[in-house]
Amino acid sequence: MFSDRELERYKRQILLFGEEGQERLKEAHIFIAGAGGLGSPIALYLAVAGIGTITIVDMDTVDQSNLNRQILHTDRDVGKKKTVSALEKLREYNPDITINAIDTTIGPENVSNLVGRADGIVDAMDNYPVRYLLNRTALKKKIPFFHGAIRGFYGQATTILPGESPCLECIFPNAPPKEVFPVVGVTPGVIGTVQATEVIKYLTKRGRLLSGRLFTWDGLTSAAEEIAIVRNPACPACGTGTTKEKR
Amino acid sequence: MTVKVRFFARFRELLGTDILAEPGSGTAIVSLVRDIAQEKKEGYDAIFDDHGNFREFVIVMRNGKRVETADAGKTVIADGDEIAVFPPVAGG
Repeated sequence: MFSDRELERYKRQILLFGEEGQERLKEAHIFIAGAGGLGSPIALYLAVAGIGTITIVDMDTVDQSNLNRQILHTDRDVGKKKTVSALEKLREYNPDITINAIDTTIGPENVSNLVGRADGIVDAMDNYPVRYLLNRTALKKKIPFFHGAIRGFYGQATTILPGESPCLECIFPNAPPKEVFPVVGVTPGVIGTVQATEVIKYLTKRGRLLSGRLFTWDGLTSAAEEIAIVRNPACPACGTGTTKEKR
Repeated sequence: MTVKVRFFARFRELLGTDILAEPGSGTAIVSLVRDIAQEKKEGYDAIFDDHGNFREFVIVMRNGKRVETADAGKTVIADGDEIAVFPPVAGG
């Protein structure tokens, strides 16, 4: 059931997917791993769309050098925990939803508890070891994993549906070397909103998800392309391969 | 024989993309990509190790199907093939 205020707030999107669709968003619990470049637009758009419960996890503190892209945080937040800053903003954007902001490092020992009974995991991480961990957690819990990653003007996204689509390790079995990646804020803006769109489509059962397709965005040429991706039957995470944990 | 090589992400920044090549028959994927990448040292080094093998994280696809990089030396290209080469993008 919606309050009058909620009906008014979501009026334009109820036109799209009805009160039934809005109800699905309200009942949903989405886990966002990271409150940085990707996590910012993902959390903002999912909050204003009316996702009933959002858990957002980050271990970092807001740094001046984050502000060119991490739009959840402002100049006066420098030095604050990202979770504190995120909680303040998201509450301001939508006081009708529940936000859990957890200040911790995601690791093999806590990932399952952190994700809990969430209906989906959104990847807003900046490294593959934790992405592999989230991918395997999503597979284990049989919930979707909404992957996104960026560098410079370039980004990629895909939606992993356990048992149906290729998983992250099918697509990228080996992590690239670590680097301080260059980035301009519009790129996580594009990819983060693609990921948030996927979440909304998945929950409201609308459209065609990015499962089995790697969406790529090249901001320098303004070209969106897709690469067909297939499951690897010998995948160590979702197939018959050895199950050694990726670190 | 004409084939197309598509680079993505950082590889594209360094080497461009949608490169049409006319390799001789019997050319392996790894040699084709090496020849193209050799145009620019930084691009070559991003994709290949010191022995001229694909770096372990590089993804190679032929007509939308994954080619194990270890097999790219044995996989011979055919006319009309489209080869995609890309790294996992990591930032967030």
